[in-house]
Amino acid sequence: MIRMLLRVLGPEYARAMRRTVVLMTVTAIAEGLLYALLVPVLQALLGSTPADAWSWLIAFGGAVAVYAVLRYISDLSGMRVGTTMLRGMYYRLGEHLARLPIGWYNAGRVGEVSVMASRGLLQALGVAAHLLGPFISAMVTPLTIVAVMIAFNWQLGVAALIAAPIVVAIQAWAARSMAATDAERHERDKEATGRVIEFLQAQPVLRAGGRTGERFTMLDDSLREVQRASRRTVLAMLPGAVGLTLTVQAIFTVLLVLGAYLVLGGNIGAAEILTILVLAARCADPLLSLSEMGGKLRVARAELDRLDKVLRTQPLPEASEPVRPVRHDLEFDSVTFRHGDRTVFDGVSLSVPEGRRLAVVGPSGAGKSTLLQLVARFYDVDAGAVRVGGVDVREIDAETLMAQIAIVFQDVYLFDGTIEENVRLGRPDADEAEVRAAARAARLDEVIERLPGGWATNVGEGGALLSGGERQRVSIARALLKNAPIVLLDEVTSALDPVNEAAVHEGIERLMAGRTVVMVAHRLRTVQRADEIVFLDDGRIVERGSHEELLRRGGRYADFWNISMAQIASE
Amino acid sequence: MNAVDSVEAGKRYGPPSDADSASEQSMASLLRPHVRSFAAVMILQVVGALAGLAPLLAVVELGRALLSPGPIDQGHVWTVVIGGAAGLFVRLLFTAASSGLGHVLDSRVQLSFRRQLAARLGRVPMGWLSQRRTGELAKVVGEDVSAVHPFIAHAPGELVSAFVVPLVSLVYLFTVDWRLTLITLIPVVLAIAQVPLLMLPARTREQQEFDAAMGRIASSVVEFVQGISVIKAFGGSERAHRKFLTAVDDFVGTFLRWVRGMSVVAAGMQLALSPPFVLLVVLVGGAALIASGGMAPADLLPFLLLGLGLTAPVAALGHGFDDMQAAGRAVGRIKEVLEVQPLPEPARPAAPRGHRVELRDVRFSYEDDHEVLRGIDLVLEPGTVTAVVGPSGSGKSTLVQLLPRFFDPTHGSVTLGGVDLREIGSRELYRLVSFVFQDVRLLRASVADNIALAVPHADREDVIRAARLANIHERILELPRGYDSVIGEDARLSGGEAQRISIARALLADAPVLVLDEATSFADPQTEQAVRRALATLRGDRTILVIAHRLETVADADTVVVLESGSIVERGKPGELLRQNGKFAAFWQSHRSAIADGVEVHGGVRQGDEPR
Repeated sequence: MIRMLLRVLGPEYARAMRRTVVLMTVTAIAEGLLYALLVPVLQALLGSTPADAWSWLIAFGGAVAVYAVLRYISDLSGMRVGTTMLRGMYYRLGEHLARLPIGWYNAGRVGEVSVMASRGLLQALGVAAHLLGPFISAMVTPLTIVAVMIAFNWQLGVAALIAAPIVVAIQAWAARSMAATDAERHERDKEATGRVIEFLQAQPVLRAGGRTGERFTMLDDSLREVQRASRRTVLAMLPGAVGLTLTVQAIFTVLLVLGAYLVLGGNIGAAEILTILVLAARCADPLLSLSEMGGKLRVARAELDRLDKVLRTQPLPEASEPVRPVRHDLEFDSVTFRHGDRTVFDGVSLSVPEGRRLAVVGPSGAGKSTLLQLVARFYDVDAGAVRVGGVDVREIDAETLMAQIAIVFQDVYLFDGTIEENVRLGRPDADEAEVRAAARAARLDEVIERLPGGWATNVGEGGALLSGGERQRVSIARALLKNAPIVLLDEVTSALDPVNEAAVHEGIERLMAGRTVVMVAHRLRTVQRADEIVFLDDGRIVERGSHEELLRRGGRYADFWNISMAQIASE
Repeated sequence: MNAVDSVEAGKRYGPPSDADSASEQSMASLLRPHVRSFAAVMILQVVGALAGLAPLLAVVELGRALLSPGPIDQGHVWTVVIGGAAGLFVRLLFTAASSGLGHVLDSRVQLSFRRQLAARLGRVPMGWLSQRRTGELAKVVGEDVSAVHPFIAHAPGELVSAFVVPLVSLVYLFTVDWRLTLITLIPVVLAIAQVPLLMLPARTREQQEFDAAMGRIASSVVEFVQGISVIKAFGGSERAHRKFLTAVDDFVGTFLRWVRGMSVVAAGMQLALSPPFVLLVVLVGGAALIASGGMAPADLLPFLLLGLGLTAPVAALGHGFDDMQAAGRAVGRIKEVLEVQPLPEPARPAAPRGHRVELRDVRFSYEDDHEVLRGIDLVLEPGTVTAVVGPSGSGKSTLVQLLPRFFDPTHGSVTLGGVDLREIGSRELYRLVSFVFQDVRLLRASVADNIALAVPHADREDVIRAARLANIHERILELPRGYDSVIGEDARLSGGEAQRISIARALLADAPVLVLDEATSFADPQTEQAVRRALATLRGDRTILVIAHRLETVADADTVVVLESGSIVERGKPGELLRQNGKFAAFWQSHRSAIADGVEVHGGVRQGDEPR
């Protein structure tokens, strides 16, 4: 557990962590040794000279004071280390997330990472920080007490010592058997969550099918699986917990019997045996609490595991000697790209001369958006190369590459802040006039006029307070302001109503002027004026040429065109 | 539903503030069926815990036997030893049984909670559902129910024994020596005396700041992750990153302040309750009493052994308190879902005659002060297509969602076949009204099942016919197992393909009233064609209401309704409206200018865009 923590944290925290662990161990030993003083105290009190107890009691009181100070220091140190670790872990995670390729962030990841980076991290570290002390104390204090017992009476001490290896073995075994069932349970939980989401999202259809009354079997099955998995977890947990209790109690019984035997045989004094039994009772409670703590630590561990997995995901490699491209033409040179086990592109080659427009057309799922993402190096290709200005994108420094490219996405994400802040993101050092000009060109000015707060209007989380068209205009203004030589457009107008579409279109035209453009579109009207059109299907370019050429050829593109144009004419 | 609408609706359906106080009570009603099992868990736990006192009492008795003057009664010593061992055995047996039973009970209760939640979610108003984030609700069914675990599996047994055992010990100790008992209680009193210090206003404020700082981290992470592509594309990585790090520093600062504020008090409490301190107090008290001859030395033993246990309740209060609070909040959220009232079902459902749809002075608001629809009068005749156009935020989505009764109007009525929708049984209503919305959801089930969702016993031939009409048949045949391919496992469909499946669904459902929010976000030409074909095929005698995004659909409609700020500002045949040169004409022009490119190159086909 500690090793895992240190790996996740990185080595710079190792010393502070080790110091805390040492401090906690010392405190636990001190507590154990403290109980050694009980022996003379009790011998005096239970014996014939109770007055002798006072000097020992003063010593005991002094020891308690030392223990209290040690404990306070170690608790404080634990909290401080915990907080520093928390900060370090957040920083490390944040930096790592910023370096991961965008391809890594699929839909499921957003939720996962959000939970992990906020509550998950705190929980994992919190449990580690809160339980570390008690855990060490529950292991070390009983051991120290046993050592004290050996010093006073070796027979009873050795008998108690037998418990140690058994307790350790049971802990290890329980942890192993639990790990398997934990994993299964996690799997079932995930499955059920998926079914619940499906159930919720499919409500309209399910209701339309009259399936509201009866239980939705697919969901119910998975809920029952969750229950079964949780029962299996209980079954897996019981032997460990019972085994631990059984061991501790058996040893206590042995001490009781052995003690009675020894005292009746006259081998040991009454006060001595009673003291040892009191000490033994002090061992039992912490040991019994181990199984409960083990469970909590396991939960924290699972969270740390997930964190570790994310931190070990490799970011895209950075070029050691970055090259700065001088031209702005684009080239795909027999690019092969796989996503998971699916081959998205298989030997795709194409080029866009500087200042020209390429339109990418094809059925959904053909890999059109991926093509754009490869230019911006959201992913790296598996074979071949994507070049900007003749330079492989992998040879270009990430910031330099991004400075060359302006992207307008279909789904626009705005940051929680004002409209102005979001536009300025395009070029933070732009002056007032430039920002205003970009807004006007994107026809964002009319939106701003309408909004009560004007430029200072807050857009809400993700831009939720603006409509889709308004968000799109902000993103175009942002791209215009950026003034990058290469423009990538991803189905920009597909989700807009006609009014917004018209406005957005105007902005887009201005954005494209004089730049190298790759646009993905299914509204075929918008692609007619491209210098070249490629028709993409199943990861291959099946047709390429200008609009007229492709129409004349009468192939897939022409079919597409006719389908989308010949609507009402047929009626 | 545009963004602003959902935000506002979110407020309206926000969590009730008094969730906490009532949660206990609702918890009780949810748990009532399991009362006997709970009782069994508790009794087993209490018996086990009390039996755990036996070995300690055995040591005490042993001490009495050994320390008593005169010869040692060997038989008594062995009886005591056997008694102690037996107590341990009973404790092992009973606590194991209690814990096992508790956990089994827990899994049963969780299943029943989840089933109740699912059943309720299957009946809540669609409107309520459509304004909730699915992830949030899934969390209630999943994580929140799991968070109840400590309530059920641990609380009854552990809390009860944490109080019963010390109480029994206390009574026993009083019978041994009341003075030393009071002395033994000193640490407990010291610890409790410090509790108010934990509840000082400063502490409460720090706690609130802590929660708020945590919230800021969460939202900055969400922003960071969701906006990652923008961050990378615009080199805003610095900024978003900094925001996250600021939130972290902020949080860590608050956390440290909180810890610092707490640490002295917490350390004080923990020290007071720690075994060394308790033993010190007992020994000092005991030494004084024994030295003065006021107490037999053997009577000190029970205090050394049982006295430590007296601190258990105080420790139990702190221990697991966070878990319990979290469980309480989770119960609040569960309860909130369970308390959502389904749209009332009519006592005596009426049967609609025909399927003419009529909206009479329909008003609707998510909040009292802001009307989304302001007095809509609209008749949808059978056999006609009515297209709704208007800017986003004009109330289009809300309007069409009234037909499948996702919401009830706040004023006025929607009738189908002369019967108010509220008078029609929900099953009947869903049979009569089918809808294709933008947000397509396919189940992880076979393609055929997905198409036949609304008609569970449909023939394969009918399914195929619908799929053909929806332009998806051939794509399905390409899938590894054809119509039996499980979506999400055997096959992944693109957005457009999913949309076509949902069109096939609507075609197969064959309801007399069709509501269609023209899908645009994933639409490719095949999907657009599917939509058109569906409209043409279904036309016949059906009543069709469509939110139109494309001029083609508008031009093809029998009636166009222009909606603005929740009111109908123009209505009529598309051609007539165009001649009126009003809002619709402006709308039309703006769209045409957007696609003006097409004119130069393909003037020949352009007449397709002219209204008839």
